Amino acid sequence: MFTLYKKELNYYLNNPIGYIVIVLFAAFANFLFVKDLFVIGSASLQGFFGFIPWLFLVFIPAVSMRTFSEEKRLNTIEVLLTLPISETQVVLAKFFAILTLAIIGLVLTLGLPISLAFTAHVYLPEIFVGYLGAILLGGAMAGISIFFSSLTKNQVVAFLSSVLVIFFLLILSTDFLASFLPGVVQDFINNYGPLYHLQNFVKGVLDFRSLFYFLSLTAVFLFLTIVNLEKRD
Amino acid sequence: MIVLSSVTKFFGKKLALNKVNLKTKTGEIVGFLGPNGAGKTTTMRIILSYLEPSFGQISVKGSIGYLPENNPLYPEMRVAEYLKFIADIKGVDDFLETVQAVGLQEVIASKIEDLSRGFKQRVGLAAALLGNPDILILDEPTSGLDPLEQDKIKILIKKLAKKKTIIFSTHILSEVEAVANRLIILNKGSIVYDGVKPKARGGVEKLFKKLVK
Repeated sequence: MFTLYKKELNYYLNNPIGYIVIVLFAAFANFLFVKDLFVIGSASLQGFFGFIPWLFLVFIPAVSMRTFSEEKRLNTIEVLLTLPISETQVVLAKFFAILTLAIIGLVLTLGLPISLAFTAHVYLPEIFVGYLGAILLGGAMAGISIFFSSLTKNQVVAFLSSVLVIFFLLILSTDFLASFLPGVVQDFINNYGPLYHLQNFVKGVLDFRSLFYFLSLTAVFLFLTIVNLEKRD
Repeated sequence: MIVLSSVTKFFGKKLALNKVNLKTKTGEIVGFLGPNGAGKTTTMRIILSYLEPSFGQISVKGSIGYLPENNPLYPEMRVAEYLKFIADIKGVDDFLETVQAVGLQEVIASKIEDLSRGFKQRVGLAAALLGNPDILILDEPTSGLDPLEQDKIKILIKKLAKKKTIIFSTHILSEVEAVANRLIILNKGSIVYDGVKPKARGGVEKLFKKLVK
């Protein structure tokens, strides 16, 4: 499994497109934070973690779209699945490669809390838990995107379907949706949105319900991907 | 050794293989011949456990190396990198011996996308050969190659056959005549001929035309 993980990661790290996507993500994340830093006038990363999901909405499907679509288009999936490696190992190797890229993207934003720490008092555990939430969110989005990549040979279709589904999940806990739906319904579906659960992490609260939410969302989509790979007819 | 007993395969309602029986021995070069959709690739994929049969039983003793149809490869990888990747997954320490066996030394550092079709085919064959498998399954191994490259692959297959069971599929009748020592003709999912290849020149073609209308 580690061999495939290394191959997947090397594909992005030996490829200009991989660097461009990661650097663009980091540049946007840093810029959007710094842009509002002096307007807010507070040494907090809550604003930063607020727009990370929207950057991930494009970044994660962009790096995940080829995971299985390309294997299916080239039919290398047949080579891979006739080697002594299970479907579960293949899916996990690809998932961890995408998660590593998301973590690299987030590491490139660490300059923000470090520079804040020099100028103001920051509460480090809150920032650490915030980053943990962002990683878990990235993992869940990677799970969804990998699943859609396993459904089609077309990378664009995989990208667009992932963006659409993740966008739908993200707006579940927004005021935008609340304005269209009755209050009772909104309260109910609010709990199923990743933004609602990310909020706990952003506040520095390590809520196990939210942890469970992200891990189970990831596991469900990875499981569906494995089932889809096993169904070869 | 491979044993297929009454293997039947449906894709939805479509019958792809109908009660296929097959038993192979070491040293055999089995040529699968048949028109498109006859069931050659499906049979191979079932032997590989890539597909499950709908009915029937399979028993495979020994490791398998596989070269799929159209030889899918990762174009962005270098030859050495690709073979090391396959070798690592197969748990093989050294891939250089295989590189030499298929004559890839001169392109070992090249990117797969920059190789000629013939060299790409050798890369696929080398990947299948890694780990010295007991059984080699080659789905149209000479497809798309020029006659010179086809000859080189045929010679290689013959050389490899001594200690292995080789199953290969093809549309090229002369290829079966030149390489196989056992002929299986598939038509519409059924084996319509299983035996030694006709010795007379053009005998395979006559037999094929007679059985596959």
